[in-house]
Amino acid sequence: MAGLNDTGQWIVIMGFIVSIAIFLLALVVAESAIVGKTTSESVLEFPKTDIQDLRSELMDLKWEKFESSKIKRYRDDIVNLSLDRKNTVVWYENQTVDKLVLYIHYNNGITQYNEVYSEGD
Amino acid sequence: MNDSGQLYTIEGVAAAIMMVITAYMVISSASIFTPQEKHVAQMQLEQLGHDALVVMDTPGENGVQSNLSKFIASDEEEDFNQTYYKLVNQRTDGTFDTLKYNVTIYYQTDTGDIEPIDFFKKWDYHRENAVKVTQWSYITDIQVGESTEVLNDKVVLVEVLLWRD
Repeated sequence: MAGLNDTGQWIVIMGFIVSIAIFLLALVVAESAIVGKTTSESVLEFPKTDIQDLRSELMDLKWEKFESSKIKRYRDDIVNLSLDRKNTVVWYENQTVDKLVLYIHYNNGITQYNEVYSEGD
Repeated sequence: MNDSGQLYTIEGVAAAIMMVITAYMVISSASIFTPQEKHVAQMQLEQLGHDALVVMDTPGENGVQSNLSKFIASDEEEDFNQTYYKLVNQRTDGTFDTLKYNVTIYYQTDTGDIEPIDFFKKWDYHRENAVKVTQWSYITDIQVGESTEVLNDKVVLVEVLLWRD
């Protein structure tokens, strides 16, 4: 490199630093594009509304003290429709002894939800 | 011919190539940006559609039948359409959005098979980005749609396929 002008080394170094900084900022921008995707995907994947709908349907039966004949008739429809249309295993059972107890099970392969609902003394 | 400064020439050419490659990468990566947005739109669509169903399934007062089960029970698909259309499509300025939907009701027969009934089907679905929202409904002693079977004391699944046209 004989004969090359080697003044202005600082300018070259600053140029490098600035370009590396721009590269890192570009990485941050590229990451930000994925953020909206992953959050909305996890919202879509989580069966919030399915569980809420199932609970709300069952809580309607609370006024009839989860009467066995009625919840069994409901269960036959709900269990089979859930399996067929939503690929979801659903089960619930009235386990009332001295207070009102309903056991609820929900599993769609990704999310599992179990609840023991009880009321009264 | 003066051949001094060769290294500067090579540097200039290399810099030009790097800039062209960088510009190409920036432009091509920007085009990947768009399809990732659709998940956000889908999520909003799903929540809007389900919220509208919940609103329809909530009775006006205690002990009264909800609009949703009333419309299904008396097979009033046009009433269903009017209510649901307003809930999902109304904008604040009084104009209407372009969301479209099909409604299918699934029920279990006495033999245990799951059968669909086309409850509301006015628009054709051409593979747009659609979401499916559902709601349970309890019905008793009714005949739904064109089905000949009378459904008595059953829980049925109302499925709405919702898309933006």
